[in-house]
Amino acid sequence: MSADQDRGGAAIRAEDFIDGFRRPATQGNRVRDMNPISVFLVLGSLAVIAVAVPGIVAPSTVCVVLVLISLAGGVGRPFIGNFSRLFVAIGLLLFVLRSAFAGGTPVLFTIGAITVSMEGVLEGLRFALVVMAISGTVTLYFALIPIKYSMLALELKGVTPRATYVLLAAFQAITDLGKNARVIMDAQKARGIETEGNFVQRVRAFVPVLAPVFLSAIAATEEKAIALDARAFNSRVNHSHLVTLRPTPAWEVVFVAIAILCAVVACAGAVVPWY
Amino acid sequence: MRRCGGAVVLVSLHDVRFTYAFTEGPALDGVTLELEPGLLHGVVGMNASGKSTLCALIRGVVPHFHEGTLEGDVQVLGRDLSDWDPADLSQTIGCVFDNPFTQISGIKDTVFEEIAIGLENLGVPREAMIQRVKEVVERLGLQALIRKNPNELSGGQRQKVAFASIIAMDTDFIVIDEPTSQLDPEASEEIFGVIDQLRRHGKSVVLVEHKIDLLARYADSIVVMKEGRVVMHGPTRDVLTSDALLDANVPPPEVTALARDLADAGKELPFMPITRSEAYQAISRRMEGRPRGHHTA
Repeated sequence: MSADQDRGGAAIRAEDFIDGFRRPATQGNRVRDMNPISVFLVLGSLAVIAVAVPGIVAPSTVCVVLVLISLAGGVGRPFIGNFSRLFVAIGLLLFVLRSAFAGGTPVLFTIGAITVSMEGVLEGLRFALVVMAISGTVTLYFALIPIKYSMLALELKGVTPRATYVLLAAFQAITDLGKNARVIMDAQKARGIETEGNFVQRVRAFVPVLAPVFLSAIAATEEKAIALDARAFNSRVNHSHLVTLRPTPAWEVVFVAIAILCAVVACAGAVVPWY
Repeated sequence: MRRCGGAVVLVSLHDVRFTYAFTEGPALDGVTLELEPGLLHGVVGMNASGKSTLCALIRGVVPHFHEGTLEGDVQVLGRDLSDWDPADLSQTIGCVFDNPFTQISGIKDTVFEEIAIGLENLGVPREAMIQRVKEVVERLGLQALIRKNPNELSGGQRQKVAFASIIAMDTDFIVIDEPTSQLDPEASEEIFGVIDQLRRHGKSVVLVEHKIDLLARYADSIVVMKEGRVVMHGPTRDVLTSDALLDANVPPPEVTALARDLADAGKELPFMPITRSEAYQAISRRMEGRPRGHHTA
């Protein structure tokens, strides 16, 4: 391929990229292309159902549904990985602690002062599953929807750009702080300070880094605010948007309505135990 | 309202003194200055001579954002600075600051979106926004960067992107603080080329810059600062060939320094060059043995 053809190809790709801003943003997947607020409402309804419906069937089902949604949304692999780690690290711990100290009957076994009962095991299981269902909905939401689309959806619903900027910048700050910490750690390392080794050594090297990391972040915040002001961030005209979300189709509205209805029914059932 | 040949004066400062909060000495001390519209005004001086504070004052960042004590009379585009609403100032005066690492919004995923952020804030419709950003991208040669994440760019690339986002806003007055501090010579030339285009299109530019050789080529006037004071302001040639520049510890353009050295050695050039092309002419004329005369170019 000649250099001219190469340049021509790059120009066409750039034009395609720019042309993409003329169309609603897409992630190439029907689930992930749902309006972020719709996804939030559906996942929120699932979390409510897991909490409101007694027993272990509802939270277990919600956990399974979350996995199915992640597969449909094309984020199954990372979500299932993270969700499994949550189950092992937090779910198991919660289950063991709750089961051990909940009391109840019939007693299954006793180890010293700890008495484990069937009621305790069921309560522990439910508690762990409910927490997993709630944390799973949050994890899945962030796996499905980029935070910028969430904020864009909020802005389009009337939330001020200032509020959405604060949220977006807070998420970006986590990345930036990590990067700055690594830079300072590398600088320390270059000066011969031991930054590797066992846990205690690493903690000892990391703690002094925190002050400069946070101080530089605070200093940068002021300059960033001025830089944003230079871009007319405080102008009183209604902001426009380069990126747009696709209009919400009727099926999505119906789907969200059904999810909310299920959550309402589950809550009503919790108050009036008719099932 | 101060006027200059019928037009409103761009910036008028009279005996201005500004001291940042919690500091002892003033950053600007007795500054009196008048800048005409439609020109490129360079600002030079040593570090901590007050250049960035002067820019911040013109742009209204002081005292609207950085607190401190401001004394004297400051007029921007014929209006007293205190009468300006900061939001109106940001729409009227574009401003690029010197630290490229804090010039990126941090909330956009691609350079193309980052350049458009000012236009979004101004409520420009999408299609017009796309056209404007495309045009700026082409002017600054940023095509290869448009898909990249601005948070992952080098300092120089960020500087260009920050510059592009301000250019895209298309204000008539732009204040630029060291736009080439992180750029290589080639990229610096490109930036100056764009600044020159802006000037040719009637924009007013105040530019703080250490690269005096580039200012010599492009600036219409130069302000020399030292310890918070303006020690000289005038047409570029007058300033760059004057002793006031040396007194302010600002090195003259290379060719001007060379011509001074030649003069000291008794080999004076026909005229004092401030750019390479002028130096070429001056040296050629001398080598041809033409009688010495004043440069009339």
